[in-house]
Amino acid sequence: VPAIRFAWLSLVRQPARSLLGILGVAAIGALLFDMLLLSRGLVLSFGDLLERSGFDVRVLPSDAPPFTGPRLTRATALATEIGAIRGIEAVLQLRVRDAEVVLNLQESAPPVHFIGADPRVRSMWTMVEGQDLPDTTGTTSVVVVNRQFAKRLGLAVGSELSLHGRCSNASDVVVPVRFTVGGIADFPFDSVTVSTVAGTLADVDTLCAEENGDRADMLLVRSTPQAGALGAAAAIRASYPELHVVTNEELVERFSRVEFSYFRQISAVLVTVTLFFGFLLIAVLLTVSVNQRLAEIAALRAVGLSRSRVTAGVLWESIMLVSIGGMLALPLAAALSVWLDAILRTLPGLPAQLHFFVFEPRALVLYIVLLAVASIAAAVYPMRLVSVLPIAATLRREVVS
Amino acid sequence: MHRARSWLLLALALFAVSATASSQSQNTAQQPSILISRQLADSHGLRIGDIVQLSADRSGNKARPFRIAGVYEPTPDPMRFAQQRLETRLHLPDLLTLTADPSDPSAAESITSINVALTKQSDADAFSRDVMARLPTLRARPTNAPDERTTTFVVVERFHLAIAIVTVVGSAVFLLALMVMLVDERRGTAGTLRLLGFTRQRILIQVLAEGALITVAGAVTGILFAFATEDVFNRFFQWRYDTTLIFLRVTPSVVWRSLLMALPLGIAASLIASWTLLRQQILALVRR
Repeated sequence: VPAIRFAWLSLVRQPARSLLGILGVAAIGALLFDMLLLSRGLVLSFGDLLERSGFDVRVLPSDAPPFTGPRLTRATALATEIGAIRGIEAVLQLRVRDAEVVLNLQESAPPVHFIGADPRVRSMWTMVEGQDLPDTTGTTSVVVVNRQFAKRLGLAVGSELSLHGRCSNASDVVVPVRFTVGGIADFPFDSVTVSTVAGTLADVDTLCAEENGDRADMLLVRSTPQAGALGAAAAIRASYPELHVVTNEELVERFSRVEFSYFRQISAVLVTVTLFFGFLLIAVLLTVSVNQRLAEIAALRAVGLSRSRVTAGVLWESIMLVSIGGMLALPLAAALSVWLDAILRTLPGLPAQLHFFVFEPRALVLYIVLLAVASIAAAVYPMRLVSVLPIAATLRREVVS
Repeated sequence: MHRARSWLLLALALFAVSATASSQSQNTAQQPSILISRQLADSHGLRIGDIVQLSADRSGNKARPFRIAGVYEPTPDPMRFAQQRLETRLHLPDLLTLTADPSDPSAAESITSINVALTKQSDADAFSRDVMARLPTLRARPTNAPDERTTTFVVVERFHLAIAIVTVVGSAVFLLALMVMLVDERRGTAGTLRLLGFTRQRILIQVLAEGALITVAGAVTGILFAFATEDVFNRFFQWRYDTTLIFLRVTPSVVWRSLLMALPLGIAASLIASWTLLRQQILALVRR
């Protein structure tokens, strides 16, 4: 306690200097904390997006990124067969095709992504208005559109929409298809600019007029709680070794290792740099401060203050500077992360709901540990200065000068 | 079809596990030739002259043998630097035979894009417009036109700039704290100079000159440090991502921007720190 009081008095005696030190730590701490959030933010956010879709296993024809490789053939039969495997609760066939909105000749036709899915299986999108795809077919096909598309074209529930499939090289001869907007939904992987329309599998066949239409881009599988994602994936792999089966966890791990690794690397570099910078800042401030107070410290030692108390005082001074600055850094970091996140989320093609800076308790614990290490390391040299201080010689020098 | 123009880049991922090396030496000259990327050669231990089986089907169905005619270093692509470049280049007819959908009569005549080299590069915009006017179903664009790729780099640059701003703010506070302490150390000297008749302005100019000198020295040291570590950073990331891409380059523009930020900040810090001291009365300066 006396050492803490000694440190506190040293800090408040020179408020301007202490304040600048605290502000410096706050600025550096904010950047450090944000880099810790960035290091795993994308992975956490991506994992959350995958979980939100309600399916935990994906079945693809190859390990090529989704929608770039070959398609699954005889998809309907495959979905039924996989659905019958023990440990599988539901299978959703997903067909994604390109289409264009049919407008007046003078206007350019906005491109859309048309998703074909089985309406009997729970969908991967979240309805915000109207109704989901109906189970039965009516006189006109009903589709669900995403919010930005509805806003862009001024569509509401009940509006009519005409689409022209752009599914193959012969798409010019395909007749446009008329749809009714049944609902507006949020699609988890939509970017801010993409227009998405979802209909049934039959709608895809009609839109594209595909002769060999029973081809899906992927199958989304929901496992039973008993089997779990790993168990379900293993069962599918055993039955269909030629297919590429991947769980959400494996997908996140792959993205973390490959696609998102740049941000992890850059955050690691910046964490190192900011930590070193913070260490340097505190070390220099304390060293200069101690150097200016050598005579005073020698006098205190001469009147009976123990070496350990004075040395501990310097350590506590460092801890106080870092603690106060570190706490101030947290709201600063929150504001900064919002700004940096907004910048990075303008990257083209990214899902609108993906975030780069995501809070997790682990980041906070790591932040506290790193700052604690920096504050102790920064205090080592000034503590040594104080502990080896020759009392008589210092006092004599002070009197002579 | 022009042989040199007809090669297409194809991710080996498409062929999945069906690429297997073979030691067959007979009839190798009769097999169609391919080029493979260095990364693919390294990862699968493939050599020039080896026969590999390629298939568009993950199960390896309808695989066809090809002879490796050469190994190439892929052109560094900043958009794909995190992905392993397991690639092969085929002659276009071979690729179409391998991947064409038998149920699609037009598949054997379909290609993704055509690269056009113009005699005059400045005609690119006019040529693109002309192509789209004549063939409305096609999309033509100059290779230097802004697209998703340029937007990505603009965003990344903006992010780096934001980080740089925060770092500079932190540095400025650090510098100010340091200058306050250094100037405070000179309190006695400043008081003595004032007693001898030196004006505040003259002392301030001296402090400014000293601050500018320290700032220039610091900025130059920082730039030299950046030059010295540039290669280390590049080598680390090139090793990490197995690419020849340059990640960090200290350009004259970066040097000038650093100087333009550092010099005013350094001088302002010394000015603010000095002024807080010099505005005090002489007796206060000499602690009397």
